[in-house]
Amino acid sequence: MDMLASLLHTTPAIAWMALKVVIVFGGVMSLAAVWTWVERRGSAMIQDRIGPNRARLFGRWPILGLAQIAADGIKMFFKEDLVTTDANRRLFWLAPILAFVPALMGFAVIPFGKSFVSGGQTYHLALLDPGNGMGMLYPLAIGGMAVYGVLVAAWSSNNKWSILGGMRASAAMVSYEIGLSLAVISIFMTTGGYDPAEIIASQSHLPWKWNVVPQLPGFIVFFTCMFAETNRLPFDFAEGESEIVAGFNTEFGSMKFSLLALAEYSHLMTASALIATLYFGGWQVPFVKDPPVLLSVASFVLKLVFFAWVFVWIRWTLPRFRYDQLMHLGWKVMLPLSMANLVFHAWRMSQGH
Amino acid sequence: MFITFALITLLGALGMLLQKNVIVAGLCMVAAFFGVAGLFVLLANPVAAALQIIVYTGAIMVLVLFVIMMLNSHEEEKAQTPRPVQRWLSLALVAALAFGAVKLVMASAGLKALAVSGAAVPRAMTLQKVGTTLFADHLLGFEVAGLLLLAAMIGAVALTKRDL
Amino acid sequence: MGVIVMKVELSWLDRTYVWPVMKGMSITFQHFIKQLFTRTAKRYTIQYPDMKKEMPAGYRGLHELKRFEDGAIKCVACFMCEEACPARCISIQAEEFGDLNITQGFEEKRPAQFKIDMLRCIYCGMCEEACPKDAIWLRNDYEVAAYDRLSMQFGKWDLMNTYAEADGKDRISQDPTPSVPRRTIAM
Repeated sequence: MDMLASLLHTTPAIAWMALKVVIVFGGVMSLAAVWTWVERRGSAMIQDRIGPNRARLFGRWPILGLAQIAADGIKMFFKEDLVTTDANRRLFWLAPILAFVPALMGFAVIPFGKSFVSGGQTYHLALLDPGNGMGMLYPLAIGGMAVYGVLVAAWSSNNKWSILGGMRASAAMVSYEIGLSLAVISIFMTTGGYDPAEIIASQSHLPWKWNVVPQLPGFIVFFTCMFAETNRLPFDFAEGESEIVAGFNTEFGSMKFSLLALAEYSHLMTASALIATLYFGGWQVPFVKDPPVLLSVASFVLKLVFFAWVFVWIRWTLPRFRYDQLMHLGWKVMLPLSMANLVFHAWRMSQGH
Repeated sequence: MFITFALITLLGALGMLLQKNVIVAGLCMVAAFFGVAGLFVLLANPVAAALQIIVYTGAIMVLVLFVIMMLNSHEEEKAQTPRPVQRWLSLALVAALAFGAVKLVMASAGLKALAVSGAAVPRAMTLQKVGTTLFADHLLGFEVAGLLLLAAMIGAVALTKRDL
Repeated sequence: MGVIVMKVELSWLDRTYVWPVMKGMSITFQHFIKQLFTRTAKRYTIQYPDMKKEMPAGYRGLHELKRFEDGAIKCVACFMCEEACPARCISIQAEEFGDLNITQGFEEKRPAQFKIDMLRCIYCGMCEEACPKDAIWLRNDYEVAAYDRLSMQFGKWDLMNTYAEADGKDRISQDPTPSVPRRTIAM
């Protein structure tokens, strides 16, 4: 690290920060890109199809169709950039950025590996070091921002279906955020802290001490709300193809559409990272007390990939809810459930557990 | 950093005032909220910043935009007849208020103390501290606010729901 | 007549919604695993240019004009198929062919031109039904495509050679000079 820093004429701290930014954002973005392929192949496998397997790298190596990602990217990049005449041009440009940036930013606070000491300096494997005061509030705040991408995209394209999609997304987002926050708050309560590092440390290396076991209702609420937050299939009201054409991204084409799609997958990655951190012990390795750094990173990535796969898996299992069912579930099931979870844990803590 | 966030806040607020389009005005307001959140972080109060974004941008502005979209009033407002007297009066009032505010801040005891002793490095606010402040020092105020909000909520339900 | 729709009573386990979701997910996961470990050849999907579907008997694909063993066309240019064709895609020009002593004796007509406009053909098989000589039939080739409209006009020799490779026959491009009476061959 020192050598790298001296080569780049910066301090080690800045070099480490830059490296972390590259690793985290590069990693999340490439995982999101890969996930477009996973979604297509996975859905195909679930439906007894084969999926995209034709694209070959340099026309020669058919690496499971993975070259499809590059092909899609190139296609999207070279397509004509259409803006409908009645669209609000500036907002139309802004919308994909507004969708993409919060989706990536949410990842910043999540530790993706054990902190380690090298040369008398502690290196934290998270963009924001622990003890920054924001803690888990930060991804919640950024998650709340994510709806603006959908809203602005919907409104700026000046299409009634888009506006319907945007409205449904914003209503769903607001009603599910409450249950989500209450589920997270009960974790803050039992942990006694709201920093992701503290939350992970309190979960220890024993799987039955992970938050998912004592807080199963909270986990169910959080998991469901994450689907609503990411606009993924049982709750993809922003783009119900069968009802409102393609919802908020009807008018978007070329790289703008690509950015919107990538935003969805980045959001998915952030959501699965949050689930892994809050309920499944983050980078903790089961039954290994003091894991090596690389093992902890591998454990975290494995958990993340698993939950990202669950997102895909559920999408191709469940049909979309009706809108009133969504509201019913959000307000009459999820909110009381998370509140009961909160009260139960408050009572248990007052009993001295 | 301060200049950046202050500019974001100010430009957002100005944009909100000057935009004819309701939705764009709302988005400008979001930008202003964001700038304020940044200022909170600079003031070593990340909790307030996070809550600002969660509550104001994440919930309230979304609801406001939702209502705007639902009422479908995205036609731009027509220019109204100019009212020169009111315009000058408002400008004068704003100037007077700004002058008073600046004077108040400049004459405040806190600023003088800061000039004498220098700024102590502030301890970052945490959620724990917010909690103890809220539930130990300002319990009465908290409860009153909660009661008020509950009454408002029940009132809203009673007003909108015809047959309970 | 009204239909009484029976409302299904859900058990409490089903009404939790979590359990049915898990059941559904196990079903999809079974499909996923099954498809993952099935060899490509055994999957339902036929990967078209590499694998081709075996067409069932009676499939109506590209036409063939049948020929005798010596390469003479079976068609006698009776115009039945042209009349029967609902899409009006067949056009025939008949010709007499001479020297009745050497040839079959009673078949003195054959098509000089036999054109099918494949762009118009609807592959209904009426020509096959109408043919009194079983001289035209629709077989299993479904890959009738070309880069221009002109090459979709199939002439007599195109139609006689459509399945030459598939059957291992020679391509022919002119009428043979028959030496024996056709009737003996037909028998």
